[in-house]
Amino acid sequence: MITLTINNKEISLEQPMTVLEASRQAGIKIPTLCYFEALKPYGGCRLCVVEVERMPRLQTACTLMVADGMVIQTESDTISEVRRGILEFLLINHPLDCPYCDKAGECELQDLVNKYGPAVGRHKEEKRKVPESHKDQILARNMERCVACTRCVRMCSDVQGASAISMMGRGNDTRMEPFSADSFNCEYCGNCLTVCPVGAILSRLYLHSFRPWQVDREVDTVCSYCGVGCSLTVQVRDDSIKRVIPKEGKGLNKGLLCSRGRFGYEYIGSDDRLTTPLVRKNGKLEPATWTEALEIVADKLQGIRKESGGVSIAGIASPRCSNEDNYLFQKFMRMTCGTNNIDSISRTGYGAAQKYFEDLLGQGITSNLIDGLKNSEAIVVLGGDPTSINPILGLSIREAARRGAQIAVIGNAKGLERFKTLQITAPVFEEAAVLESLLAQVFASKGERGEHAFLDRGIADMAAGTSTVSDVKGLDDLKKILLESPSTSIVFGTDLVQRSDGHRSLFAVSGLTYLLEARLYLLSEKANEQGVIDAGCVPDMLPGGRPLHIEDFKKKFEMLWKDSLPDFKGKTLMEIIEGARTGDIKALYIMGENPVFNLPDAKYVKEALDSLDFLVVQDIFLSETAELADVVLPALGWAERTGTVTNLERRIQVQKKAVETSAGMEDWRIISEISGKMGYKMEYKDSEDIMDELAQVSPLYRDLTYKEIDRGKSIWPYHGEPLRGAEISEIPAGEEVQSGNGADYYLAVDRPLFHSGTLSRRSPALTKIMPEPVLRISAASAEKLGLTDGDRVNVTTSAGSSETVVVVDDSITDNRVYMGNNFKDRGACRLLNFRLDSVTKAPGIEGCGVTIEKR
Amino acid sequence: MENFLLKNIDNPNSADIAEYEQAGGYKNLSKALGIKPKDVLDEVKASGLRGRGGAGFPTGMKWTFATADPKFPKYLMCNADEGEPGTFKDRPILEKNPHLLIEGMAISGYALGAEYGHIYLRGEYPEAGDILNSAINQANEKNYLGENILGKGIKFKLSVHMGAGAYICGEETALIESIEGKKGQPRNKPPFPVNVGAWGMPTIVNNVETLSNVPYIIEIGGENYAKIGSSECPGPKLFSVSGCVNKPGVYELPMGTTLQDIIYNHAGGMRNGKKLKAVIPGGISTPVLPADAIDCAMDFVAMPKAGSMLGSGAVIVMDEDVCMVKVTYRALKFFEHESCGKCVPCREGTDWLRKILERIENGKGTQGDIELLSDVAGIMSGKTFCPLGDGAAGVVMGMIKHFRSEFEEHIKEGKCTF
Repeated sequence: MITLTINNKEISLEQPMTVLEASRQAGIKIPTLCYFEALKPYGGCRLCVVEVERMPRLQTACTLMVADGMVIQTESDTISEVRRGILEFLLINHPLDCPYCDKAGECELQDLVNKYGPAVGRHKEEKRKVPESHKDQILARNMERCVACTRCVRMCSDVQGASAISMMGRGNDTRMEPFSADSFNCEYCGNCLTVCPVGAILSRLYLHSFRPWQVDREVDTVCSYCGVGCSLTVQVRDDSIKRVIPKEGKGLNKGLLCSRGRFGYEYIGSDDRLTTPLVRKNGKLEPATWTEALEIVADKLQGIRKESGGVSIAGIASPRCSNEDNYLFQKFMRMTCGTNNIDSISRTGYGAAQKYFEDLLGQGITSNLIDGLKNSEAIVVLGGDPTSINPILGLSIREAARRGAQIAVIGNAKGLERFKTLQITAPVFEEAAVLESLLAQVFASKGERGEHAFLDRGIADMAAGTSTVSDVKGLDDLKKILLESPSTSIVFGTDLVQRSDGHRSLFAVSGLTYLLEARLYLLSEKANEQGVIDAGCVPDMLPGGRPLHIEDFKKKFEMLWKDSLPDFKGKTLMEIIEGARTGDIKALYIMGENPVFNLPDAKYVKEALDSLDFLVVQDIFLSETAELADVVLPALGWAERTGTVTNLERRIQVQKKAVETSAGMEDWRIISEISGKMGYKMEYKDSEDIMDELAQVSPLYRDLTYKEIDRGKSIWPYHGEPLRGAEISEIPAGEEVQSGNGADYYLAVDRPLFHSGTLSRRSPALTKIMPEPVLRISAASAEKLGLTDGDRVNVTTSAGSSETVVVVDDSITDNRVYMGNNFKDRGACRLLNFRLDSVTKAPGIEGCGVTIEKR
Repeated sequence: MENFLLKNIDNPNSADIAEYEQAGGYKNLSKALGIKPKDVLDEVKASGLRGRGGAGFPTGMKWTFATADPKFPKYLMCNADEGEPGTFKDRPILEKNPHLLIEGMAISGYALGAEYGHIYLRGEYPEAGDILNSAINQANEKNYLGENILGKGIKFKLSVHMGAGAYICGEETALIESIEGKKGQPRNKPPFPVNVGAWGMPTIVNNVETLSNVPYIIEIGGENYAKIGSSECPGPKLFSVSGCVNKPGVYELPMGTTLQDIIYNHAGGMRNGKKLKAVIPGGISTPVLPADAIDCAMDFVAMPKAGSMLGSGAVIVMDEDVCMVKVTYRALKFFEHESCGKCVPCREGTDWLRKILERIENGKGTQGDIELLSDVAGIMSGKTFCPLGDGAAGVVMGMIKHFRSEFEEHIKEGKCTF
């Protein structure tokens, strides 16, 4: 226990801390400028000076640790004089262009001078002149205003881990500059923007477009992009989003954001938004009234159900939509349309893996808090780059690395290049064999865990049948790391699910998780991939992960939903597409999804959808899929409606309405309107009303309310225990598959940091940062092909060809080449074929051997 | 007193290992390795040696702190970033007697349990770099350095790191940052480098001259060493004398020799028979002394009493023709240029002080400027992150204290009066 006196107030502390922290804790305010809570103390501005008894000079509170018996004064005439003096110093070279500066009104220097500064300055000479730099398309730099607090640089290197900027020059010439000189070559997280206390770093997205005090409304909400679910604040003026900012320390992201979250919001105000329902007339989509459009949908679905039964209707739900939307969607499919043919794009990765892991290891096995990652002593990263798929989760891995954790990357992860301690290259199509070999080796050393007999037996069987992959470098080191680490986390990206033998990788990872008692994290590209599953948008599960084949659950839902459930086995996503092709499926209702673009083999998918009798697409843009629809229904997007989403930790959070728009209707409202017309009544006031029902029908969501969710406490397992343990007693056996080896280069789907799906196409800021698709390629491959950065090339597979630009990436160690699936007509998915994994039903990427030719 | 630090200095081949050995070199290393590291440390403690870089911190105490820290490895850094204007005392050791420094570092490394040493060399001393590197090669070949020193299983590896010209890198924590490859800027203290230094490990930073005293302590014993010069800070001391004297140069004299003695006896008195006006006794960061205050002993204890500091022992002598406003202005130009930019009072204060001094010197001073100078220096003083800004403020305050009339005249006459 440390006891000290601050301003004659006695304070007792359990933990050692700085005088500044102790003072703040005691409610005593000390002015600061270079201090920022998330950063290490710097001691540069000297504003936080205090008097300490028996110490000869004034001390800076931010750097001085408390000691027992310390007597401190934080205010005195001397201290005021120093603070006044320092502020006068800060202004001698500061331009005092507050009337013109975007920061005025929320400028820390302005506030400090107002409170502690001198009324007039005595500096007569010319001030330092540095022209504002607009060389970067996103961030403007005004180094006249810079106070050299270095918060941006410390944020960039110590927290973000990008180390893209530095203080250049010396003394009065000190200024922040990117290492890449004029424009930034960085992760564009914009966290430098958050920490800049003055108007030295500015966002060009809203430069000179409003003053901080002119904001009509500020709404605390959750990001629309990935499965992390960062808290952020939307500032609105005249019903348009002016900017998106994080709040210091708030949310699981603790005040940090990534490029997509911070700069990607503009799509919502895009001119390309659908504004009216469209109905196909004479082969062309024509604007129609809501009444007309909804009636056509209701009539058509009703007719097809009557004629061919619910079995010929299918629905594709969306991980971009809320839990309420998805809950209602599957209820509509099951009860109104009489079908269990319901799935989502989540099947291609996250959902498939999630189900496999939960079947083997119990519900909630992937529901681990992101924050816990940083305390791991070993982290295995595989199947994707967490720093681009889930950037804020990636930061926790970087933090763990800074704390000395072993970071083993299997495959390629560019964002961990400077943080990994081990990298293992698993050859294309042999990933599963490498993982099995690792599991077999770990099992050989550790033996059975004895918790689940079927798993121990399964691992033993697998180990007995596996020949050790001996030529993979680093596998022994990894085994050693894993056996020695007292706390291991596995961060699993879904690339490995997209193999026709993906279930083998899933089993190996399950085995490792089980034997090592590791925490398992599943990377999630979209905001509600977990929620779409939990809400019941899978063919075989009712909301809350209740298996449909268990009669008790079925009965209970039938009672609550007041009608009988269809009792046939529903189709999974790719089976639905195949059904459309063969004619088994006649009507398809797609909510917020773009299968033509997002699934492999676009030609096949398009053909399948073309064979449908009736296609409804509900979306915010006229997507590639919507273009094929018979009826297109405009929905409301993020920030236009309220609803909950479930992140990859299974934390439930509310995305709130921030702007008013007349462009469309909430997804759930469209569905309930149609349902009503089809004779199954759905009457809800708002999304909260739906959550109340969900909380009633599903024990998973028991007693959850918006009020509680909003307090930020709805963390797995919410109000109780996981509902299911390991469900199965046998390891699901998959079919043997042989995939074509022998290509020189393999195409892999990239998940770039600056884009996500197709939403980001309509965010001008993100398209400025990354205007077109690139082909990331290793230095060795580039050399072999005679390619350099910026070369334009044709990438050709058996399925097609696409033009792209080469980016040589030193972090890639194998013959994979990476291309994203984001840009119109230039996505990677359409160049790929697939074969279903017989266990997970996820499409395994095939036909990815590519040739690359310079144009 | 016989020279020790500058022994052999007139021999044109003094930097060669053979010449050094001829003059008895490396015998002290052999002697030190014959006793326990702790005993070497005790000798240094008994000697009363104080750091020659400027702060005068007791070397034995610094070493004790470092050896008490259980963390390993430990690093020994030689501060050869001799950048204080007026200071050139380390240069003759580095260029003429490099083996003395190497021997001193090898003995110190042994005492401290450090297996790696780095010499952080001022970027503007390229010749010294070449000389040191070839001397290190020679010492390696002869097993005075390396994996197995003198066959006794002791390891000490030494390398030279060239600075890039920043004055601040003479500050020990900035030096460590720079050696780590970062921008040279001082770190927060505590923790002190003896506990958390280079790469987070205990690091001992000693000046060239300090380390070069170590072989002498071993040679004559700590107790005998303690009898040389001033009792509270004993030993030989190098003084670099520059300015308006007849014989500017580096002088090895016992600590405590008076300023008067240095100027008039050793440095041959005032040039051209001019009158002495002022002396900056310990490098530009130490406050100026007027002519009537030079009867003071040059050591770490007496100089503060006389109103200045010993600093690096760089005696800058100014005669009646020197404009003190111009000296102050030039000094502040230096500090402004060298301020690292980390803390506000130094970064902005040095800039402002220079601007005010520039206008006074150029005849554009106005009433109130002297008060403004004092005010600005007052805000800086004691509030800067490291002593650089303190030094800058101290120069201005000292000059105004002793030569206020010159400033007033500049302002009144509207021009430089010299």
